[in-house]
Amino acid sequence: MFGAGYWILVILLNIGLIVLQVFFTIFYSDLSCDYINPIDLVNKLNPYLRPEMALHAFITLTFLLTGNWFTLFLNLPIVAWNANKLRNNDVTLDATEIFRTLSKHQRESFFKLGAYLLLFFWYLYKMIAALID
Amino acid sequence: MSGYDASANGHSYGADDGQQGAGGPPQAGAAPRRKGGRRYAAEQYDFNAQNPGMGQGTAQIPADPSQMFVPAGGAPFQQGPGQQYPGVGQPYGQPVAAAGYGDYGAGTGYAQQPSAAPMQQPQQPYGAGAGYGAAAPQSMMAGFPGQAQGINGATKQFSQMSIRALPQVESMDLMNTRPEISDLQAPPPTAILPDNLALTPSPHAATDPRFFRSTINACPTNSGLLKKSKLPLALIVRPFLELTGQDGVPIVTDTIIARCRRCRTYINPYVSFVENGYKWKCNLCGYLNETPSAFDFNQLEQKSADRFARVELNHSVCDFLAPQEYAVRPPTPPTYVFLIDVSFSAVTSGLVGTAARVILEALDQIPNEQSRAKVAFIAVDSSLHYFALGPDSTEARMLVVGDLEEAFLPSPSDLLVSLTDCRPAIENLLSRFNEMFATTQNGSSAMGPALKAAERMIAHQGGKIITLISTLPNLGEGKLTPREDAKLLGTASETKLLQPQNSWYKSFAVECSKTQVTVDMFLFASSYQDVASLSCLPRYTAGATHYYPGWNANNYNDVQRFGTEFTRHLSQEIALEAVLRVRASTGLRMNAFYGNFFNRSSDLCAFPTVPRDQSYVVEVAIDENIGTPFVYFQAAWLNSTHNGERRVRVLTMCMPTTQSLSEMYASADAPAITHYFAAKAAERCLSATLDNAREAVGARVNEIMDTYRKHLLNTNTGASVPLRICSNLRLLPLLSLSLLKHLSLRKSSQIPSDLRSQAINYISTLPLPQLITYLHPRFYSLTDMGPECGLPGDDGQIVMPPTLNLTAAQLQPYGLYLLDDGLIQFLYIGGQAVPQLCEDVFGVSDISQVRVGKMSLPEDLDNDFSIRVRAVIAKSRELEHGKIFFPHLYVVRPDADATLVRWFITSLVEDRGDSAASPSYAEYLQSLKGKLT
Repeated sequence: MFGAGYWILVILLNIGLIVLQVFFTIFYSDLSCDYINPIDLVNKLNPYLRPEMALHAFITLTFLLTGNWFTLFLNLPIVAWNANKLRNNDVTLDATEIFRTLSKHQRESFFKLGAYLLLFFWYLYKMIAALID
Repeated sequence: MSGYDASANGHSYGADDGQQGAGGPPQAGAAPRRKGGRRYAAEQYDFNAQNPGMGQGTAQIPADPSQMFVPAGGAPFQQGPGQQYPGVGQPYGQPVAAAGYGDYGAGTGYAQQPSAAPMQQPQQPYGAGAGYGAAAPQSMMAGFPGQAQGINGATKQFSQMSIRALPQVESMDLMNTRPEISDLQAPPPTAILPDNLALTPSPHAATDPRFFRSTINACPTNSGLLKKSKLPLALIVRPFLELTGQDGVPIVTDTIIARCRRCRTYINPYVSFVENGYKWKCNLCGYLNETPSAFDFNQLEQKSADRFARVELNHSVCDFLAPQEYAVRPPTPPTYVFLIDVSFSAVTSGLVGTAARVILEALDQIPNEQSRAKVAFIAVDSSLHYFALGPDSTEARMLVVGDLEEAFLPSPSDLLVSLTDCRPAIENLLSRFNEMFATTQNGSSAMGPALKAAERMIAHQGGKIITLISTLPNLGEGKLTPREDAKLLGTASETKLLQPQNSWYKSFAVECSKTQVTVDMFLFASSYQDVASLSCLPRYTAGATHYYPGWNANNYNDVQRFGTEFTRHLSQEIALEAVLRVRASTGLRMNAFYGNFFNRSSDLCAFPTVPRDQSYVVEVAIDENIGTPFVYFQAAWLNSTHNGERRVRVLTMCMPTTQSLSEMYASADAPAITHYFAAKAAERCLSATLDNAREAVGARVNEIMDTYRKHLLNTNTGASVPLRICSNLRLLPLLSLSLLKHLSLRKSSQIPSDLRSQAINYISTLPLPQLITYLHPRFYSLTDMGPECGLPGDDGQIVMPPTLNLTAAQLQPYGLYLLDDGLIQFLYIGGQAVPQLCEDVFGVSDISQVRVGKMSLPEDLDNDFSIRVRAVIAKSRELEHGKIFFPHLYVVRPDADATLVRWFITSLVEDRGDSAASPSYAEYLQSLKGKLT
């Protein structure tokens, strides 16, 4: 259908997501170890939070357009989660509240990282399957 | 009590001796309980005020003060040698020879297992004569001279043993009794520590609970036990007690600050010296540190010094004078920028004139002993009016900047000026301030840009921005819109109104914290003020919010209140560039901080300036199992005084560890737990919903009652079990009910969000004594007060009448009552008051002529009763120390002004409110009982 090229593109974008999540996770753990102060953390992370969501939404959209229903289904929970955060206006970090919400952010970041890694292997499988075809 | 037998093996305790000696009948709660086959004599402690035997035996205190401990509930008891005391007529506090200690304690060692401690604790019935409130501290103090004398002999024997008297829970029934509200003033349970734990026998080695207090005074050894107990583990830290001065805290002046190299703990009375005193062992982490040579040798005077005389080894609350390494930059001067709203409503309400006059009169009280203080004034309407002041001229030049986008400072050098040098110009400016703006028609307020400009003006050195606002900021950054919506009140969406409507307020607060700037808010609007948004700045910059709804200069009481509070606010000796760090023994971690500050890192709270009338709550988590018999907490407050000294105020607290739930419960501190609940609830109101905050408090109290019943009551009957709790927590249900029904948390669709926001600000910042009064007001009957009340007593202080339970059942139709929550006073006069009473107090001939509402009593009535009533009202205003508030007096009459009457009635927390969400005390207890599983 679209062949391996499409899947390679997806994999590359997905690597981007993974890199961003690793970046977030490192910053959160830096904050909990006091290597960075909350003001710097917020200034550094906030510009990337929305693009990360947008990138993921874009990848998911391509599954919709290409009719990869099962892959789309795998990604929907994350889209729903992000959409909910957008709806509640709860996307950006707040330096005054960060220590109370840090564990929540860390958990979220871990889960997303795990999900992206699993998806990575799924995309890899799809790519290989497309290559074999 | 008259005699007891402490057999050395400790297996059979004369459990009933204390009881009989006290003359009281055996009580259900004191029934001997078996644990590991041993009975605790200590269970006989009777903290119960209803004890019929309490009248006897006060003179029978076994009089060896060096052995005095203070158990939960404040009743001193005795852990004594195996002697028979004749008991009768022994003078209290006279030392008895310490003979017999050795025999008694030989070879026992420290009892890790509570049940293994062989000890005998006779009972001192409390209450009678000595007085509940006063007994504990006196006995503490009384204990020390004796100890000092006997220290040489006794300490040696004690050095091989450290026996800790275990506090025991004394259950009491809550149902069908009126809460003993006089206990609100009782001293908190004290951590039970062996005498020789501190290095020196100084009475100041024990922590002063006014500064540093814990919700429980025995730390569980693992987090499982803490979780199981349902009790919170939190510390309440209050750095300053008074608005000015040293609070009686001694200073270490030689800048020798010994700190643990590993955990950075400051040396304190609980460290120990090892290796012939060359090293000291940190009591928090156990690291061995070199002892500074200056401890034994005074370089300056070239003579030897006594290390045990050092202040920091004798006082658990002390100040260190810090050397230069403790300062990032030279201490900055106290700096005040006044942002005065000069919009139409501010001018017409008389705010501008009053504020200028109050500032003018308070100029001498601004802390300025070394002539370092700096001030600046900015008047704000739709543009910013700066005032250039010079030392040589008495004229101020007004510079108007209308560009709000890029608010620049029109004259960099002479806007922020020395208070001393430019005094004539400042005085001239303030005296003419009102007339400059008297004719304004400008209804806008560019307060956001003004705050930004003020912050920029003092960003290089930090300081305070004091903001007086009467109009909703409606221009430029931080613009606010009226958003009060009566439909939202009382619903889940109400919490939106309690959060800032504009994210600028949070980001600007962070900016201010970075540049060491504090913002204080004084709010005066007659309509919607958006306290929720505006109070965000003080919250994160360690400032204060004061709200005067509907303030008008035509009302003398309004002027008096604002004038007094603003003057006190300006005169407090602020500390600058402060940080707070709380350290604790290994295994403990500071989990969350509550109060007005910014968390600069996970365990560091930053205060651009420290207000002296606030306190802070620190929640502690247990990360690892604790193997030591004692744990320590240390709060260190690094700050600069207003006169440029860098100082560290160190507060150290010690408490024993325990593996028993009963010890945790017996040492729990109900007011401190309430303070923690309040702080936590205030935080939840903002981050979650009001319902959520209320439910969390309610659920926690349920869990505490439930856990107590399940694990600490040995009765196992079913539904007929009465609601019981240990005596030291007996006020917890009342206090938590007061919190649930308080203006800040009450479920109601009648409370404007401004008032609620402000109440939330108060419950998250007020120091403990003020907070308790705020939640549970003091209530006095003035018509029934004794002849001595309202007149100076033996100590020169006005004698106050006894406080009453907060219920309308106390109200007689002919009586006169005073209710004071620290912020508002109500003077309630019954509808059938006799004309003589009206004549004496109000100067009118008849009850129908008594004016209701905000007023002050006529001063010129020259009769005894009027003088005494006024004295009681005035004294009640000043009962708590170090507060800024000057409460309004509202006169309430049941047949006039229904709103006012309802307001007064809702303060009577033991009564049922107007909805099912505010039950009476009895109903609340019933519902607690119903929820027991």
